[in-house]
Amino acid sequence: MAQPLIDSIKNRSLKNKIFFSVTVVILLISVLIALFTRWILISTLTSELKLRGLGIGYSIAESCRSYLLTEDIPQLTSLIFDARLGARRELVGYVFIIDKQDRILAHTFIRDFPAQIATANRIDPEKDHRIQLMTMDNDKVYDVAVAVNEGIYRIGAVHVGLYKKHIDVLINKLRTTFLGFVSVVILFFFIISHHLAKTITRPIAKLTRVSDEISRGIFDIELKMENGLERSGDKDEVRQLSRSFINMTNRIKESQAKLKESDNKYRSLFASGPNPIFVLDRQSLNILSANPSAEETFGYTREELVGRLFTDLGPFELSADQLLTFSTQPTGRVTSVSSKVQYLKKNGEAIYVNVHACPVHFENKQALIVATTDISEMVEKDSQLIQASKMTTLGEMSAGIAHELNQPLNAIKMGSDFLEMMIEKEMPVTEQQLFQIVREVSSQVDRAEGIIRRLRDFGRKTDFTKEKIFINDPIISVLDIIGRQLRLQNIDVQLQLTENLPAILAHHNRMEQVIFNLLTNARDAINLKEESTLRNNQRTIVIRSYTDNDRVVVCVSDTGIGIDPTVKDQIFEAFFTTKKMGEGMGLGLSITNGIVEDYGGKIQIDSIEGRGTTFHLSFPMVP
Amino acid sequence: MKRSIIIILGVLTSMMMACTNTPEDPLSTILSPGITDDQVRVGSSLALGGHAGYLGTQTLHGALAYIQHVNDLGGIHGRRIHVKVYDDGYDPPRCVTNTQKLIIEDKVFALFCYVGTPTTVKILPLVDEARIPVVGMFTGANALREPHNRYVINVRASYYQETGAAVKHLVEELKLERIAVFYQYDAYGFDGLKGTEIALRPYGLVPVATGTYIRGTLDVAEGLRKIMAAGAEAVVMIGTYEPCAKFIRLASQKGFSPVFYNVSFVGADELARLLGDVDEKIIVTQVVPPPEVSETQQLWGAQEYIELLRRYYPADRPNFVSLEGYINAKVLVEGLKRAGRDLNRETFINSIESIHNLDLGIDNLLSFSASDHQGLERVYFTYLQDGKFVWRNH
Repeated sequence: MAQPLIDSIKNRSLKNKIFFSVTVVILLISVLIALFTRWILISTLTSELKLRGLGIGYSIAESCRSYLLTEDIPQLTSLIFDARLGARRELVGYVFIIDKQDRILAHTFIRDFPAQIATANRIDPEKDHRIQLMTMDNDKVYDVAVAVNEGIYRIGAVHVGLYKKHIDVLINKLRTTFLGFVSVVILFFFIISHHLAKTITRPIAKLTRVSDEISRGIFDIELKMENGLERSGDKDEVRQLSRSFINMTNRIKESQAKLKESDNKYRSLFASGPNPIFVLDRQSLNILSANPSAEETFGYTREELVGRLFTDLGPFELSADQLLTFSTQPTGRVTSVSSKVQYLKKNGEAIYVNVHACPVHFENKQALIVATTDISEMVEKDSQLIQASKMTTLGEMSAGIAHELNQPLNAIKMGSDFLEMMIEKEMPVTEQQLFQIVREVSSQVDRAEGIIRRLRDFGRKTDFTKEKIFINDPIISVLDIIGRQLRLQNIDVQLQLTENLPAILAHHNRMEQVIFNLLTNARDAINLKEESTLRNNQRTIVIRSYTDNDRVVVCVSDTGIGIDPTVKDQIFEAFFTTKKMGEGMGLGLSITNGIVEDYGGKIQIDSIEGRGTTFHLSFPMVP
Repeated sequence: MKRSIIIILGVLTSMMMACTNTPEDPLSTILSPGITDDQVRVGSSLALGGHAGYLGTQTLHGALAYIQHVNDLGGIHGRRIHVKVYDDGYDPPRCVTNTQKLIIEDKVFALFCYVGTPTTVKILPLVDEARIPVVGMFTGANALREPHNRYVINVRASYYQETGAAVKHLVEELKLERIAVFYQYDAYGFDGLKGTEIALRPYGLVPVATGTYIRGTLDVAEGLRKIMAAGAEAVVMIGTYEPCAKFIRLASQKGFSPVFYNVSFVGADELARLLGDVDEKIIVTQVVPPPEVSETQQLWGAQEYIELLRRYYPADRPNFVSLEGYINAKVLVEGLKRAGRDLNRETFINSIESIHNLDLGIDNLLSFSASDHQGLERVYFTYLQDGKFVWRNH
């Protein structure tokens, strides 16, 4: 019963709540006051009634004494009828006088005397009055008995019957009056509370309406809010509320404008930026959005891009740290994911990009902003540079290589000369001799062909790709080309290669160039030392390969001049060279370093000036 | 919202309604005691002896003359009227006791033929409470007329009317201005005094002196002295025949001879008898015409009265007092007649109220209404002439 009522009140508007609570409180207070007043009235009136009854009783008792003694019935009757004259008749139900034998001497009934009341209320001998509530003809009556004494002895008693209903009538009258009054008060408060509730809630309803409008994006509220509130003073809470509401709205408006501005700015950056930018869903790596540059670069339309898996374009592999960061943080800093990775355009053409990612919120989703900077051109330039450097190296090596080629040619020449001489001398050439010469010529041709093939391989321009290679292979290839040359220069090349090393991700040709550069540098350093000291030094190059933890390491040590510590930090810079003008371009180590870094490798240099240098090249191993 | 307002108003209204219940009166059921198939019992308490015994006796005789006549003719609607009479000796307490006894023990249908102001006024509370009709009182007391009481049926003109007419006569025709009042020191006397004062006020006059006596005594000397000292030209006397006669005699002896004026209650015939042949100018206002005017100027009502009185009370001489009793009886009988066989106190009162311009043969039409419970209005002036009060139609 009560719960639905409470619920229904809870669901009422604020206005009705205020209204109801005020009304209920007023009703409760009214009822309490009514009950309290009634209680006071009844008790006061009852005691007042008894007092009046006693007063009447005593005065009759005083007046009737002589008539009682003479038993003058008419006088007694007249006396008690007089006691009921006028307004008292409403109050005094009856009066009767009894003598000491309880005989009824006089009474005011106009019907037979109701016998039961004669002795119903006897006065105690030592008292002079007694009051008792009794019932007479369905009426409650207070019977007030007062003793009539002559001297100290009782000669009779006066009984005055007081209608209890007299009080009830009074109380009824008062109650009616009071209720009327309370009703008027309630009505008054009713109207006031109604009005109050309306006054409070109307601005609130207005605020609500305005809030709704604001949520719909209508910010033009200032005039509307102030309408109707001018009448209330500055201290009025509702007005203060609406003021701060207006202030708030203004702030929202400002920040909205700022946001819009910033949004536009970033949108234009996003749209007109030169780099392809994608927005990816963080979980599925689906493309949510892409900028025009992305469309242009990858050759897809926007519609084709959105919804496509980003990994369709190219590899997107995150490190463990990045995975953790991206999965836990709603937004974060830009981090580099990978560089110089190959992505495919729509037409299958490969491009090289650097990938940067940044976790953000995008349209209520956990998203990633991924920028793929197209570095294909740079990679191409790198390749050209590397090629140029390689050609330079080849140029430098051309003398040695020519010498290398001369040897088979000489051998072939010797064979052909022998045959020519034998023919001129008409000396017979034995079958065995001929076979030996032919075999030698063939092997010398094979040898020359091998050299030429290696040269061609080496000189071929290569792409920036990665494949699994074993580090020992390029070392051996390079030594095939220039090993003899080094030995011709009295340089002792010692190979300490570990068999069955794990593979690394790199490119054979490029690694050849790295080794080539290191070996030529080592040779130069050894020659330079000899030139500067003019002594016969140890001329040794040691090439080692081994594994160190999860990395594959190649060491190239020489017994050359060493590196001046003051220039140690500069040796990887492009165009830095210690050689004489015209002898080197100063690109060797710079290119070497670039290639090594492209494959995730590191170069470490241990060098003691005048004693020699060791280059440690380490690459992550491929499991 | 509107619904809740209606609900709350409804609750308030019902709370108000709940408070206005009034208890039912248990007495309203007692309507018709004293009525049997062949009898209507009415009760009377009046002075049958003592200093007002003449008034009571004559009133009763007049009334009974008519009632016996009616009974002899078969009663009203088959019921004979039985009058239960108690003597109160013009003593108010006894009147109250008698009335209580009439109501409780004798269970009379109505009260009838009461005599005297102090006595009758005393029983008003009983009448009110018992709702018993009281018909035809030999008194003109204002207390029986105002406030209006449904159960009190007056027949005669009031003392106010009597004194009013008398004062008008004294002031306007006899050109007297020094008017004194001699009155019985009780409700009757006060009523007469008040009536006189009210009548004098429009002339800008007040009583020049007042003298009193105690009911049942003849101590009039002091009152007379005061009135003489004031040099009154007229004395309005509100008393009974004995003290008034003594007053007039004493005044006459002392050579004080103003105009003496008495109200009807004095008992004009007895006063005349007591005074004998005096030279004083004595006026008595009457509320009934003199029963015996002259052979030529006879009223048929008075004629009928004289005949019936002669039949039932041959010893009595026709007089104003018993004629009044006779007329009271006629009103009672007329009411009972009109109420019909299904008689009760309420229908009886309604019947009385229905009487309008009824000619009783006394040159004075009887009329009642719900708001007017006094049947006759006329005041008759009588003068003492040759030991007898004669009607002078001035």
